[in-house]
Amino acid sequence: MEFDTQLLYPSDQALLALMIFIIMLGMGASLTVGDFRAVGRRPRGVLIGFMSQFGLMPLVAFTLAIVLNFHPAFAIALILIGCLPGGTTSNMFAYFARGSVALSISMTTASTIMALLMMPILLELYASGFTQQISEAMRAEGVEGEFVIPTINIISSLLLVLIPVAIGMFIRRNWPDWAKTAEDTAGFMAIIVILYLIGTAFVRHGGLFLQTPITVYIGAICVGLIGFLFGYWFSRLWGVPPIFQRAISLETGIQNGPLAFAVILLSFTDPIQSQMIWLAILYSTFIVITSSFITLYFRKKGRFDYEVHRNTVIHNRLFGDNYVTHYPAGFLPKRIAHDPSQGSSPSQIREVEKV
Amino acid sequence: MIYRITAPNLAELYRKAAEHYDSLPAFATRINALKWHPVSFRELYEQGLNLATGLIEIGVGARDHVGHFGDNRFEWILADYGVQLCGAADVPRGRDVTDDELVYIINHAHIEVTFVETELLQERILYLRDELPNLREIILLDPEGTPEPGVRSLNEVIEIGARLRAEGDRRAKERIKDIQPDDLFTLIYTSGTTGQPKGVMLTHANMISQVESIPSRHNCADRVVSILPIWHIFERVFEMYTISFGACTYYSSIRTLSEDLKNVEPTFMGSAPRLWEKLHERILKNVRESHPVRRALFRIAYFLARNYKDSLYFLNDKKLKLRPYPEWRRLFLAPLHALRWLLVVPWYGFFNAAVLERIRLGAGGSLKATVSGGGALPIEIDKFFNYVGIPVLEGYGMTETSPVIAVRKSDDLVIGTVGPPIPGTEIRIVDYETGEVQYPNDNYPYEGRGRKGEIWARGPQVMKGYYRQPELTEQIIQDGWMRTGDLGMITHNDCLKILGRCKSTIVLSSGENVEPEPIEMRLQQSPYIDYCMVVGQDQRFLGALIVPVLDELRKIGYHDYSLDELASDTTVQNIIRNEIKGAISTTNGFRRYEQIRDFRLLPQSFQVGDELTNLYKLKRHVIENKYAGMIREIYNIEPVTVE
Repeated sequence: MEFDTQLLYPSDQALLALMIFIIMLGMGASLTVGDFRAVGRRPRGVLIGFMSQFGLMPLVAFTLAIVLNFHPAFAIALILIGCLPGGTTSNMFAYFARGSVALSISMTTASTIMALLMMPILLELYASGFTQQISEAMRAEGVEGEFVIPTINIISSLLLVLIPVAIGMFIRRNWPDWAKTAEDTAGFMAIIVILYLIGTAFVRHGGLFLQTPITVYIGAICVGLIGFLFGYWFSRLWGVPPIFQRAISLETGIQNGPLAFAVILLSFTDPIQSQMIWLAILYSTFIVITSSFITLYFRKKGRFDYEVHRNTVIHNRLFGDNYVTHYPAGFLPKRIAHDPSQGSSPSQIREVEKV
Repeated sequence: MIYRITAPNLAELYRKAAEHYDSLPAFATRINALKWHPVSFRELYEQGLNLATGLIEIGVGARDHVGHFGDNRFEWILADYGVQLCGAADVPRGRDVTDDELVYIINHAHIEVTFVETELLQERILYLRDELPNLREIILLDPEGTPEPGVRSLNEVIEIGARLRAEGDRRAKERIKDIQPDDLFTLIYTSGTTGQPKGVMLTHANMISQVESIPSRHNCADRVVSILPIWHIFERVFEMYTISFGACTYYSSIRTLSEDLKNVEPTFMGSAPRLWEKLHERILKNVRESHPVRRALFRIAYFLARNYKDSLYFLNDKKLKLRPYPEWRRLFLAPLHALRWLLVVPWYGFFNAAVLERIRLGAGGSLKATVSGGGALPIEIDKFFNYVGIPVLEGYGMTETSPVIAVRKSDDLVIGTVGPPIPGTEIRIVDYETGEVQYPNDNYPYEGRGRKGEIWARGPQVMKGYYRQPELTEQIIQDGWMRTGDLGMITHNDCLKILGRCKSTIVLSSGENVEPEPIEMRLQQSPYIDYCMVVGQDQRFLGALIVPVLDELRKIGYHDYSLDELASDTTVQNIIRNEIKGAISTTNGFRRYEQIRDFRLLPQSFQVGDELTNLYKLKRHVIENKYAGMIREIYNIEPVTVE
């Protein structure tokens, strides 16, 4: 399909820009310098998360684009989404999914920084085939020139987006109360703006929903879902504790949606910009729904191991770091009993004992 | 995962807990906010055995009554372990016990050996010693206190036992084997202004039945914060219940509670209505003082939560049904509620996560449920916490039923009721005047659901009786049925709803029982007071409705005043206030909580047949209804809103 009209009016673009600014401000407001330092303290989790985010996710997006035979513009958008760093939404979902919020935050910060390096490389790697298709299509229409991924633009738009993040962190540092408000407002804003964009798209281009091939819907939904699935099993294969598995899973599937809008708006032009935006809108909508369900599922599944973990953490908090909690034989299922890192201190090594 | 143990008696329960939960912490005491001292099930049991052996050595016999005066601290539960493990029963009371009560209880219960918590209590007992002919041994619990001559320290008794056990003394274990389910584990004296305290005899079987039948979803990874008076039966059930599933009880105090909730992150907790009222006040205060954006977010969140939960309760058929609810109406409304639920759920999801979670974090954030008991929880506060996602389960009971008769379940939560009776408990609703059974009664539609009357309960938790007062026991227990003296009904959800008291006893929100008649009689001795009625059920303090004596006031200058005019005259109010102050004072033998803190003068006198019976007794319900507005004014009760 081709878009004959512009999807976003200039007023929408301004609104989107404002939203991105506020959300990134909110993201910054939820971070502290300590969070960056904390990355160094749990290198293993962050590294596995990194592999999952920048190794698996772009591959998943690429494979989906191929398998579903995407139009190149959609394909590039999907791959772009696959290469994005994680957003702060994943921290909230990790919290409710009884995952490790600390790891989620560490992964978000680490991946946001790493994206500056990884995104251009990954886009070059996975999207170059599709850019050739676009170039050929352009030449077929008699348009001169070559379509290339605007690497420099992408990097500079990423840098641009990091400015409100820095402002947010500054606010958090100096006015912590304000920062909390900014965080909540940002989350609320995001939902409103996404709904507004869908609403206007529906009103203005009602046919768009029908025109969009079903495969695009499948791709927009599945990229997140497969991300959750792979992230979970990948981290589980590495033997990290359940709370880390849930955090990595969510972090892999949930990408920084607003960043996608920013990069697309600042680095790409029509004819493909509208299509890319459309896919980003679809992804952002579906990911909220899918991650809500995944969160509910994780929350239920992780209830027991999380409770045991919390109890251990609180025992260490109140009784000292050297306190070791011994549960009765048979109380802990094997998977948790043999998990050495459930506690917060190195002394928390629990074995199944015979009483 | 549910994981719990049970035993035929408490001593066995303690033994099994040590065997099963071993090194898991059983009780923790606070040293400072982030430093707590844990004692494991094993340690506690071993120490308890030492103490029990020590107690046997100093002459505590099986089934003896051991005094236990003091408030929440680790040594309290250790002493309880000692008493249970030597097959005796304890007679507990808090530090606020009066001298008269001390003398009465110790003599009435034939106490020969007693624990006292503090040096002050030790002094008081020593001072009263001449009036306590049976008392042989006093043991001081406070490890920091110095025992007077003739008083033993807790450690001394434990050491005696430890030495004997090292030499092979097995008497405590024999005592445990000998405990019968029908033996007392405690004898609790309940206070009352009229007459002497009554000794409620509770058996091991009573307590074990409670531990077994309280609906539970707990295991040994749970944390329980203890805040209620430890000797109160409501709190004691929680302690025993917590031991049965192997979780740790953290002793908190009113002063440190909000800090402790955050650090301990309890998953379960027993509490009184007052606590939730205070927490509710604090949350609303924080909301009021917060940034306008946050305030708006909270209001939206609460609005959504209310709509979401209301529809959810409706769809799950958990809405309070005082009248029969026709099925066609339910089927008609269900789609509308389903629609509302669907519209609200995504927004609720977001606001629940972003806003309401912060409120829940104020109570630690991990509460699976909390049980409120010992008084009625105001329905608005009840709703507030259930809407924001802190499931408050209201329960109902009394010391005489050790104590739970009914309690809401997490998955069967009907706001406005105290839930269904616990398993094994039968409920009857009986007309207070005629004695006719209202429920269950096949002659009435719906077997009598929705009909009011006195609540009678029969089940394994009903006490053995009042100690050495068989005539009192016969009055209150007939054919196994315990007459609670509370007014209630069975709703069409098959839950119990409490409507008030049949008897005049007022239960303050602090849990103190007040008999209003002696106070009223004292007040009516004043020349200026004609009639008066004391109010304050479920409130923090007592208030009074007063009809002044017109003639007497005319004598001192209020000639042409009518009662209506007098009621609003401030000088008259001052005269009455001074009368009340003079009459209900501690020097006249009234307690602090019995003092009247506020009153209203009534514009009309009481009339026979209207507010008074033929025998000039107050018809309390009539007066309460007639002057409900004034009573609300005394307590400054405004409809609770989120504003």
